[in-house]
Amino acid sequence: MERGYWIRSKPVYSTLTWNQQATAHLVVAEGVGGGLAVLKLFQQMLPEQPITVLYADHEQGNVDYSATLKKVVIEGLQLYSSDDKAIEAVKDYLPTARMGLRVYVAGSEKFIWAVADLCAQYGIENSEICKELTGTLARSVYCVHCKAITHDVHSNVAACDGCGRMLFVRDHFSRRLGAYMGLMVDAEAPGVLPEIEEIYP
Amino acid sequence: MSQLNLTVAAIEQVTPLVKHFTLMSADGSSLPAFSGGSHVVVAMNIDGRTHRNPYSLMGSPANTSAYHISVRLQEHSRGGSQFMHEQVKVGSALQVTYPVNLFSLAKRAHKHLLIAGGIGITPFMSQIEDLRRLGSNFELHYGYRSPEHAAFADSLKQRCGDLAHFYADSAGQRMNLQTLFSQQPLGTHVYVCGPNAMVVAVIETARALGWPENHIHSEQFTAPSAGQPFNLRLAASNMEIVVPADMSMLEAIEAAGVDAPYLCRGGACGRCELEVISADGSLAHHDHYLTEAEKASGKKILPCVSRANCSHVEVNI
Repeated sequence: MERGYWIRSKPVYSTLTWNQQATAHLVVAEGVGGGLAVLKLFQQMLPEQPITVLYADHEQGNVDYSATLKKVVIEGLQLYSSDDKAIEAVKDYLPTARMGLRVYVAGSEKFIWAVADLCAQYGIENSEICKELTGTLARSVYCVHCKAITHDVHSNVAACDGCGRMLFVRDHFSRRLGAYMGLMVDAEAPGVLPEIEEIYP
Repeated sequence: MSQLNLTVAAIEQVTPLVKHFTLMSADGSSLPAFSGGSHVVVAMNIDGRTHRNPYSLMGSPANTSAYHISVRLQEHSRGGSQFMHEQVKVGSALQVTYPVNLFSLAKRAHKHLLIAGGIGITPFMSQIEDLRRLGSNFELHYGYRSPEHAAFADSLKQRCGDLAHFYADSAGQRMNLQTLFSQQPLGTHVYVCGPNAMVVAVIETARALGWPENHIHSEQFTAPSAGQPFNLRLAASNMEIVVPADMSMLEAIEAAGVDAPYLCRGGACGRCELEVISADGSLAHHDHYLTEAEKASGKKILPCVSRANCSHVEVNI
């Protein structure tokens, strides 16, 4: 990669930080990394306004932050066994929420943009959501040839789940789709592939 | 800047202080299209001096056979509103700019909360037409001094029904912004146009309740205030001029024959921004465009409304 090279559409994530001007806070997180991000958030302070924490505590391995979270998050903690169930809970939460709600999301990119997509349906723009990327750099890849999205891609080149083409994973990102652009890497010289390396662990 | 030559087709006294002017092209041809919230700048020749004042377009954007503007007679008029009220008659010719919109509706909003104070109702008149045509969810909250000063209230009641809420100061009716902003659904955008105190109250209340900046919209046209005269050096034009007490910097630059950029002439858009090369004292910023840091730096000025508290300023034009 050339020095100074960057793609404007590629999202830049921060760390979760309370926005104290709010009427309520919704914190959504998944996995070990997401749990740690929420703990770091509560290290900063305990805001005055009502807090809801929706946490998917799946695949904990040796580490399980949910017990610690139960101690630290004194109100509004709800635990879910999968990302999808946590996202369903966001779907249930938003319809009755009012302006002044601040949204915080920590987890994989796939998780972050699934929540952002739901928020967008309620008029919360993605610039208003505080996002922290945790756990994995795995990418969702949108095939420009067959339009299928392949999830959990860890390498520079990956086979499309839809059409089987070998796709080069670019940095161009679609906020609407929550996915990076992937295009056929051996279109001009069929079968000639660059070295396939894991660069999104 | 290209101008439209229009004729005053009708004048209506709406309230004791507000007149509504209908402007049409001389041959009746349709005028350039505009969107809700747009304004035009009207040029007026007053005692040999050109005044240019911004006025919101009030008519329906779907009907471009005429432009509708309303002018409130200002107690401390620099001449513009007085000229419109006293000199302009049916049949008078007026030069206006093409419409510009600095107060457009957020297309992705789920609800639009419109807050108007006094003559600040005017940009909402055209916005409401757009909102009704699009079937958008909106609410109007309109405050005024007393019922006799409630310009267009009857027509708004008719068009908006329950969506319009009215507050007469004389009857002790006040908007409770805190309550109003606390109960809005996600995706609401707030728009405010009115006196400075109202605009500041709306912005600060919304911010304090956690409304993101991009959900808060305001428009305020400031009339250039009078001040002390000062010397102004136009570096690129290599000219030295005097800005008189009752003239804005921009007007003085134009009077000197220098073609300066501008759009709103009310300190809102930033189009006329000039680089300040030097000043022997402080600048008097009156605009709503520059950030506090930019104002403090003394390196930029909006000559349409701002001036100097010192005796000599040099700008790069």
